[in-house]
Formats: sequence, C-alpha cells, structure tokens
Amino acid sequence: MKNKSKARAAVLMASALLLLSACSGGNEKGNSQPSDSSPSVAAGSAEAPKDSAQESAGTDGKKIKMRVITITTDENRNNIMEKFIKPKIAEALPNLEVEFEPGGGGEDMANKLKTLNASEDMPDVFWNDAGYFTPLKSTGSIMDLTPYISKDGFLNKYSVPDALKHVDGGIYSLSSGADTYFTPVIFYHKDMFEQAGVQVPATFDEFVQISKSLKSKGMVPAVTPGKDGWGPKLFLLQQMIQIGDPQAMADLVSNKTNFDNPSVQEGAARIETLVKEGVFPDGIANLDYGPAMEMFTSKKAAMLMMFTWELPNLAKDETVDFFPFPSAGDKYDPTKSVQFWGSPLNGYAVSGKTKHPDEAVQLAEFLAMADALYFETTGAPISLQTGNPSSEKSPLMQKFVDWYNPIPQKIASMALNSLDARASAEISTQGANLLTGEYAAADFNKALSKIWSENTWFNN
Amino acid sequence: MNKYFSTKMSLFVFAAPALLLFTVFCVYPLLPEIWMSLHDHDGFRNLGFVGLDNYREVLSMPSFWTAHRNTYLIVGISLLLGLPLSMMLSLFMDVQTPRLRRFFKTAAMFPAILSVTVVAQIWLAFYEPNWGLFNSILHSIGLSDWTHSWLTEKKTVMPSIGLSFLWQYIGLNAILFYTGIKTIPKDYYEAALLDGASFAQVCLKITIPLLQNVIKYVLILSTLGSMAFYSHVRVMTAGGPGDTSRTVIYQMYYMAFDTSQFGKGTAIAVIFILQCLFISFVIQRFVARGKLEF
Repeated sequence: MKNKSKARAAVLMASALLLLSACSGGNEKGNSQPSDSSPSVAAGSAEAPKDSAQESAGTDGKKIKMRVITITTDENRNNIMEKFIKPKIAEALPNLEVEFEPGGGGEDMANKLKTLNASEDMPDVFWNDAGYFTPLKSTGSIMDLTPYISKDGFLNKYSVPDALKHVDGGIYSLSSGADTYFTPVIFYHKDMFEQAGVQVPATFDEFVQISKSLKSKGMVPAVTPGKDGWGPKLFLLQQMIQIGDPQAMADLVSNKTNFDNPSVQEGAARIETLVKEGVFPDGIANLDYGPAMEMFTSKKAAMLMMFTWELPNLAKDETVDFFPFPSAGDKYDPTKSVQFWGSPLNGYAVSGKTKHPDEAVQLAEFLAMADALYFETTGAPISLQTGNPSSEKSPLMQKFVDWYNPIPQKIASMALNSLDARASAEISTQGANLLTGEYAAADFNKALSKIWSENTWFNN
Repeated sequence: MNKYFSTKMSLFVFAAPALLLFTVFCVYPLLPEIWMSLHDHDGFRNLGFVGLDNYREVLSMPSFWTAHRNTYLIVGISLLLGLPLSMMLSLFMDVQTPRLRRFFKTAAMFPAILSVTVVAQIWLAFYEPNWGLFNSILHSIGLSDWTHSWLTEKKTVMPSIGLSFLWQYIGLNAILFYTGIKTIPKDYYEAALLDGASFAQVCLKITIPLLQNVIKYVLILSTLGSMAFYSHVRVMTAGGPGDTSRTVIYQMYYMAFDTSQFGKGTAIAVIFILQCLFISFVIQRFVARGKLEF
C-alpha cells in the first residue's frame, strides 16, 4: 500500500511536469514565429509601417493601452514626468491610455529590462541604453525607428539627424540630444573655498593640495557617488586618464590601446592618490548618488564631481560654480579635450514586439519632445528643436556653453561606448574596490587588463 | 466513513494539491535551470551546449569562494550567536509578568515585520562613517581609534551587515521558542521546583530538551534563511565594495543579471541548491531524532 501511494505521488508529479513542459514548449514556438498579421517592425528591419496597424488601432473607440518604463532616479527625470509628461499627455495623445512604470536607473534599470525581455513582457516604450541594447536587438525587442520618424517628419526636427544613427545605420532611440552636452566637471562652493583660503586648482597636484587645506578646515573636500563603482565607471577613471593623456583615453574608447598602456594605467594611480590623500570622505566606496548630492548641497562637502546634468539644479545656489578637471600633464588642456556623455542608443525606444507600433512611436516622440522642452527651460543646449525661441541661460549655464562648445576634441564616454555587459559590471566592481583605499592601482590595472581583453563590445 | 478517511488513498488525495503545487512551483523550475547551467546563455539566447564548463569556471572564481565565505559567516552568526540569544530572550519573556511579556513580545516582533529596505536604511545611518551613530558614540566616549568605515572596510563589512540581519530576526526566533515553551506542561516545572531545581537546571533539563522539535524547525528556518541572505546586502552595499560583501545568492544574481552570463549564474544556483539539500538532510537526519513524550 505504501509503495502504491509512492507510485501515485510519482505519477502525479510526472504528469504535472509533462504538462508544464508541454505548455512551455508551445510558448517558445509561438514567440519565435510571430504571426503574419503582426504589424511590428523588428530590429534591423527597414520595412515601412503597415497601414493595417493604424487602421486597427482604436477603431472600436477604446483607448489603446501602452506601457512605458523610463528612468526615475534623478531630479531632472522627476521634473520631466511631473511638469511635461503627466499634464500634457492626455491632450497630446488622446487615443492612448499610458501606464508609466518606474525603471530606476543604472544597473537596476538594465536588470529590469533584461528580465522583462527574457519573460517576453517588454513595455511598448522604454528608455534604451547602450549597456543593454545588444541583447534587446538580438531578440528583436527593439525597433528600428527610421521608417516611422522619416515618414512622419519627426527626424527633421533634429538639428543633426545623423547623430541619432547607430553604427549599423539604424535609429533605435529618440532623445532630446541634451546628452551630448553632459560632461563631468567639478562643482564647488565659492564661499567654502573663500573660507578655506583656496583657489580653483589648475593642476592635479594643486587639486590634492587644496583638498588637504579644505580638510584641515573641517570640510569634506570632494564627493562623488561611489557605491557600486558609479563614479569610477562613468567618468572618474576616464577623467583621471584623460587629464594625463587625452589621446590615450580617446584610443582606449576606440579600442586602439588597452590597460597595458602606461598612460592608461596612470588613471587608476591618480584615483588611488585621491583616496589616500583624503580628498573623498570616509566610506566613499559605499556612498550612493542621493547622499553624495546631499553632502554637497548641504555644504558638508566643498566639491562635487558630477555630470553637468545636475548643473541646472545646482545653479539655483549662487555660491555654486564649476571648473574642469585639472591637468596632470602637458598633454592635457581642458579647453582642447573633454569627455561627452551619451550615445545614439540612449533615449526612448519602442519594443519590436509592440502590438501598436505607430502609436508607440508617437508616444516615444512625445516623450523625447517632453525631455527637450524641459531641458530647454533649464537653458541646456538640445538638438531636438522644439520650435520655441531660445530661453535665456543662467550665468552658470552660459559659462558652461561658452567653455564646452568650442572644445575641438570631444571624447565619447567609455562606459557607454566601449563596454559589454560583463566588462561594465566588472569595472563597477573594480572601481568600487579602488575607492576603498585598500586596493592598489596595480591590482586594478591587472584586473582591468584581463577584463578588457575579454570585452566583446568591439566584436559586434 | 472513518475507515474511508484512514486509508492511504485518502491521505494521497488530501496531499495531492500540495504535491501538485510543490511540483509546479519548486520541482519544475529546477529543470530549465539545470538545462541552462549546461549552456552558454546570455539570458536571451542559448549560445550552445558547454557541458560542465560553467561549473568548472564558477568553481575557479575567487569571488565564488568569497561569496561562500560570506554566506557561511552569516549562517554562523545566525546559528551560533542568534539562536542562543533568541533562546535566552524567550526564557526571559517566559518569566516576566503578563504585561511586561506583552511588551517584550511586541518589541521582539517589531523588527521582523519591518521591510528589509527600512531596516537596511536604519543600519546604514548607524554605520555612516562621518556622522553615523556608532562612530559618533565612539568619538564621544574617547574611543576614536575604534571608529571604522564599517561598510567599506573588508574586515568589518560582513559582520556589520550580519548584525543588522541578526537584529531583525532574533526576536522572531525568540517568539517561536516562546510559543514552544508554552506547550510544555506546567507539571514538569512544578515538580522540578519542588525538587529544588535551579532556573538553569530547569532550562537545561526540561525546557531545552522538550523544545527539540521547535529548535529543529528554527534551525532549518535560520540556516536556510541565512544561506539565502541577499536583500540586506543589496540595499546596504550592493555586494561591495567590489565583491567583498557578496553572498552566494548575490554572486548568482551578479553573474546572471549584471554580467549577462546566465549559464554561470544558474550553475551557481544549482550548486547552491545542492548545498541547501545537503544541509537540510543533515539537520533532518541528525537533529531531534528522538520521539518526544510528555
């Protein structure tokens, strides 16, 4: 009897497994062979949008439901959502019912989209990033927007349309074009500098010296988000290489050199110097974005190493000014070389599997325009033309534009334009290690040398 | 009727729904996981069968062993420090007046019902190196040399996170022990008191031996709960600095989601499942095997 019960249990379990296997098998087949009636245009396809999609959309009088996932981690994004998207979307797109899901940012955003993609539950419109573009493209989860935005004329609203093109010639994301104007600088409080009797440094050594002076006055010299290697990965390593040898950095971004190059290796050594000389506060390796910003805005820290996307917010404080990263050698001149953020892949993208591609593209266009309208109000330069007369820039923004625009050598960001997912994650890990002060630059460079040699970004 | 319900068949019928759910939600998901661990998979595409290569590579990674060291450190803290403290707390609650007992029960349960994120944020504030609670206290009592950057120094990061975990669940285990204590007949205690037994003797000779089933339950719960330690690490340090505070689950997540190496991530998962099964087996086989008779 006991054996019979065991046998029954085994049969029940086996039946359940067979049933589940059968179900999952059917799904895989169905998803790999989209029906002919699907109006979607998948990645890499230059097929024009089908009229049938337009006809079918909303013909029964009901609103079309759309899901959007976008970045929700910084003040700019929150302002765009609250002031330019939510109040205007119903009027601009009356046929759509849009559900916004917070995406977070950085790795959280990437992981969320990877998971949704793996479970075939991609939102209709989402914020795309170079870091997760490749797997989305390979699975047909991101649409080439070229035929859509060419047909409706949205492409013509960009002052430099070619800047939207990926290396394969497709356009996968729509942005305000403000990204190109984001670069890391060092913000500082003028009054704290005066209080400590220090001047804006021209060289790396001077920077270390004024940091010591600030620290001796009881101030935290400089902050930047260090948790999960945010700062080192996104700009600090690049800046520390660039201030010694900008050409070496440009070569690294284009894979013409590697971490065996002495000029490249000096970047990590400079970060090690900053940490060991006490430029950053204790615990910098675990300092998140919000607390880092708070340390600066509450004047606990005299300097903030940050991208200029925070410039409009920081410019509200009249004691805030900025200076470029100071030079660590004769090869670098801050008026001749600068890092720029952004990639043609960063922006609002449309799922290759959306049921309503035309409407989804319209929604992506609306969101990109909302970004542009917002950044326009901050005085930030944008390449998506809104049709509004240009607004007056704050003095700090004007100072930035006057410095940034004439710089002849603009070096792309390594984090967005040179790293596959694995290399990106490993550089985060190594960067955080470097900020602890317990990890030697030599060990960092050795690890990076291996990571770089296994980086598949340039194989695609 | 009684005869009908006492048959093995009826037991099987009653167990069938649970067995079905267990198969669907616990057994079945293991199969694609094992399959994926034998392939080079980036989470979207199967890039080919690689046999046991993922296992070989994972086992040769220093970060894999760092993650194991951290995980078993948390298990150790939870079992060697947490369980005795929980037991002591439950014995302490048992001898309190009803009013005080209610207070201690509520206080003990409170951290356990809080979200991990809330708990982690509280402890992040405690550990903040520049103006956090711990360093401020140490400065104020003249022990500045004892201050640390608790969450970024290699030697302090895991014990610091472990302490927050301990604080959150120590009370919950105490409540479980206390519930077990209340099931022990009062006669035993009265007889012991008449014989002149001390409080310690009562605890060692009556309470703890008769709590063996509850202890076993809490042991399994604490061991497997500690092995699956992830959320506190995620919020407090994101596994960092570097890989210093990654646990096995975090390392699995990192490999799969952060580096898009799902084959290696699932290989870690399979190894982890085997460890959990082994530990559960050991506890089941060797802990509290004797039949309890009141």
